Amino acid sequence: MTPSSRMWKLAISVFRRRVLSTRMVIMLPILVLFIPGMAWGFSDPNIQLPADQVPETAAETMFLASIGIVFAGTMAAVLLAHDGISKDRQSGVLELRLSQPMPRWRQSMILVIGNWASIALPVTVLMLISMWLVGYRSDMWISASDSIVFVLAAWLVLLWYTIFALLASSLAKEQGSAIAFSIGLWFLFTLLWVLFTTLIAALNGVAVGESKDASYSVFEGRLDLLSPNGVYHHLLETRLNDVNRGVSPTGAVLAALAWTLLPLLWFTRRIKRLVP
Amino acid sequence: MADRDVMKFSSVKFRHKVPAPKWFNPFKKAHGAGIAEIDLTLQRGQIVGLVGTNGAGKTTLLRMMSGVLPIESGYVSANGTILSSLELRGRVGFMPEHVRWSGHESVEQTLVEFALLRGCSKESALEILTVIGLKNRASSPLDSLSQGMRQRLSLGIALLGTPDVLVLDEPFNGMDPVAIDAFKRLLQSLARKGIAIVISSHHLFELDQLIDTLALLHRGQLVAHGTTDSIQEKLGFEQLTEVCLDSELPKKLMHGLEILEHSSTDINHHMILQSVRKNLLKDIVKSGIGVITWREIQPSLIELLCAATGLDRQTIGMDVESSAWIPMRKLQEEEE
Repeated sequence: MTPSSRMWKLAISVFRRRVLSTRMVIMLPILVLFIPGMAWGFSDPNIQLPADQVPETAAETMFLASIGIVFAGTMAAVLLAHDGISKDRQSGVLELRLSQPMPRWRQSMILVIGNWASIALPVTVLMLISMWLVGYRSDMWISASDSIVFVLAAWLVLLWYTIFALLASSLAKEQGSAIAFSIGLWFLFTLLWVLFTTLIAALNGVAVGESKDASYSVFEGRLDLLSPNGVYHHLLETRLNDVNRGVSPTGAVLAALAWTLLPLLWFTRRIKRLVP
Repeated sequence: MADRDVMKFSSVKFRHKVPAPKWFNPFKKAHGAGIAEIDLTLQRGQIVGLVGTNGAGKTTLLRMMSGVLPIESGYVSANGTILSSLELRGRVGFMPEHVRWSGHESVEQTLVEFALLRGCSKESALEILTVIGLKNRASSPLDSLSQGMRQRLSLGIALLGTPDVLVLDEPFNGMDPVAIDAFKRLLQSLARKGIAIVISSHHLFELDQLIDTLALLHRGQLVAHGTTDSIQEKLGFEQLTEVCLDSELPKKLMHGLEILEHSSTDINHHMILQSVRKNLLKDIVKSGIGVITWREIQPSLIELLCAATGLDRQTIGMDVESSAWIPMRKLQEEEE
């Protein structure tokens, strides 16, 4: 068996362990409620949204429903991966793993792939159900290219949060700190980011609160490149019409690449130098 | 390198990083305790006992030997070739001190997973189950294992891929006497197969019976290394003999004897002798005195450690009997 195939087999075993865990059983109803639930709600033909917005295409409805992935999907990714290293460190299994003759970068990839796949699979299934629900309820069917971009973008945002959680898990000496780190980061990007953006915008003299103000939109769009949720939305916006938030599709893809590679390199380096 | 040599550690060194926060850099780290430059050669079939007090650096040294901790300076070689960390990990099987196996996975699944990490076949992992005596618990979940079984599983993982060197950190912890006996016999059979074993333990009595080479570690330094006899000789230990006879030793036989201890009852006479002359036992038997016990007394590992470091038991930290600092509680006094 080649080293790569061994790596994939081990990643599958991490995936299997996570996907069949009690945690997943608890989180699945939440994911169902947030992902297809949001799609169901936003595809209501009589929906009343703020600022008289009406989704005109299936992609727009899926864009609105992506808030379910931002809230529940990323949270589930964090909760699944937060003890990826700290639990093994506490039990002594980490010491045993690190003493095995498999390169540490491969061991880090096993953790990333296994943990990420365990949340990516249910989210993908629920997204496909959501796309069908949107089509069924509003009679607007999402195109194949849009659905691929939406699924890929969701995979990426889940990957980023999985890596953050694993990084936190490798930095923390015990599980309490690991979860505090991970949830703290999730809280910052998911809930506090709006406050942060508004504050920075106000300090820069941008007209905050005027939703139709173009300069605020552009400012917010650029600042969103520093947030994984923001980059996720930029990727989704590449499939929407009449959206200009100052970031080109290439810029969004480059930002996504940076958000993928930099934490991944940091995590691999961390595992290479990890002391149990 | 001699033919029997399986691995050589040359001037290997590691220092732990400890937090040393400053007001301008709260995450600053400084060099803490660790392992000073240590030279150690392991031979095929050799069982090396690593002894030292708490904090002497035993676990750090074992982690370095197994490639878990990096070697900051110095090198490890085998057959004249310097080994990388990855190659070192491939040749060493490591059993850490505490592995609290838990979860729904079975013993077999765990072994197979580690076999994949080690790059050996599933079949070899299943064979290990027989070696460690867990074949009939192969499908048991990890949560259901006793402490002794968990230790055996850790040993099984260390044995995967038939390593040249087996590094065991406190393997007897949590084992009952029967399990310890079985474990020791297993280690002896592995040593006979040519595997070099390095073992640290606080169960000095168990270690004493098992090892053929001793390494005394103190404050990160190897203060003595060799067979127990050679270390005794080097440290100037005199040979002591415990003798128990059914009657008093006649004066002519006592000539030139140095008696360190002497106690008598109606039925026996007990003595501890230093530097016994060659034919003493023969002479005693010839004189018609019944010999109940004739035994050479080996210095304990603690005594060796004290002699090697020049410190007494209390300073070295082995003596924890003193309770003078605990205030006496007054008796027959009602608590408020």
